[in-house]
Amino acid sequence: MRPLVSGCGRLYRRVARAFPEEFRAVCGDGLEQLGPDIAPLVWQQRGVVGLVGLFFDLAVHLPYEYLSSLIGKLKEVTMSGDVFEGTWKARIDDSQWDTGNPTPQQACVRFEATDTGYLMVAYGIVDGQAVAERPQTISTDGRRRPVLDLGGRPIPGVPAGAVSFCSRPDPQTLQVGTEADGKMLGAGTFQVSADGKTLTATNEGTGLRGPFKVAIVFERVVPDPYVPQG
Amino acid sequence: MAKKSPDAFLPLKSNWFHILLCLVEVEQHGYGIMQNVLERSGGKVRLWPATLYGSLKRLIQAGLIAETGDRPAPEFDDARRRYYKLTPLGRRVLDLESERLKDLVRILDLRRRQEARP
Repeated sequence: MRPLVSGCGRLYRRVARAFPEEFRAVCGDGLEQLGPDIAPLVWQQRGVVGLVGLFFDLAVHLPYEYLSSLIGKLKEVTMSGDVFEGTWKARIDDSQWDTGNPTPQQACVRFEATDTGYLMVAYGIVDGQAVAERPQTISTDGRRRPVLDLGGRPIPGVPAGAVSFCSRPDPQTLQVGTEADGKMLGAGTFQVSADGKTLTATNEGTGLRGPFKVAIVFERVVPDPYVPQG
Repeated sequence: MAKKSPDAFLPLKSNWFHILLCLVEVEQHGYGIMQNVLERSGGKVRLWPATLYGSLKRLIQAGLIAETGDRPAPEFDDARRRYYKLTPLGRRVLDLESERLKDLVRILDLRRRQEARP
């Protein structure tokens, strides 16, 4: 039976080499070594049933790994199709900043697609200090929703009863606004250029320190620092 | 990619639990993990190679284990082998799963004691 076992080992190694590249990149050639190494042991302990089990395990997992790598690639393609998704860095000198606040030395905004719209995070450096705004969920269905933090709690400084809304008149544009008691507190747009490389954010209204008006030009950060590369 | 909290991994898949348990005290290669699980379970749990490496791949992607660069002395090692170690997140998940299983056993014991009362 020795030729049968060594034949099974060789066959196992060949089949194991058919696993997707993604799998082999993580696991190396461990699978194709381990199968033939344990074939004699399995034969000793469990005979033909053991060898059948060894190949059955391979037969189940080979298609599974292909399917999972295919799904991963599909997700990647779907996500990169969104024009807003990604990290954007402000061109400080080309932007118009709120005169009531210090101009930042660096400003970034990141959009992550969610089931209903986006999760937006803004951060940067102001007066030499790293700062970050609260992450905001943006639902693009136009409905008015209370302005709350991600935990559903009120945000200090935001007037009671304030609601925000967002609509998407075209794939490249988001229109956002905040109002309280029927009075508009601020409104603006996020618009991605036709080539997808720049994002212009405008916002105008009245804040705690009085009227404000900003127009910020961002460049897409490539490669995205938050997405594992390779 | 947002990191998952340790609770999000519970209940832990049985294969994952066995693999993490093997890596608590020592870094191991695939064959070592397979043998360890077989011995520890008294021969009841055999991780077949594709199951084992599929689980290792997913554990790495989830950040629960990592491949280690530390190698034993060449005379004790096979250069083809990859060694794996538990990450702090993996350790935390294993501890939480152990607590969860202990709680289940405690509930079962309590129920048995209640049933045994006349």
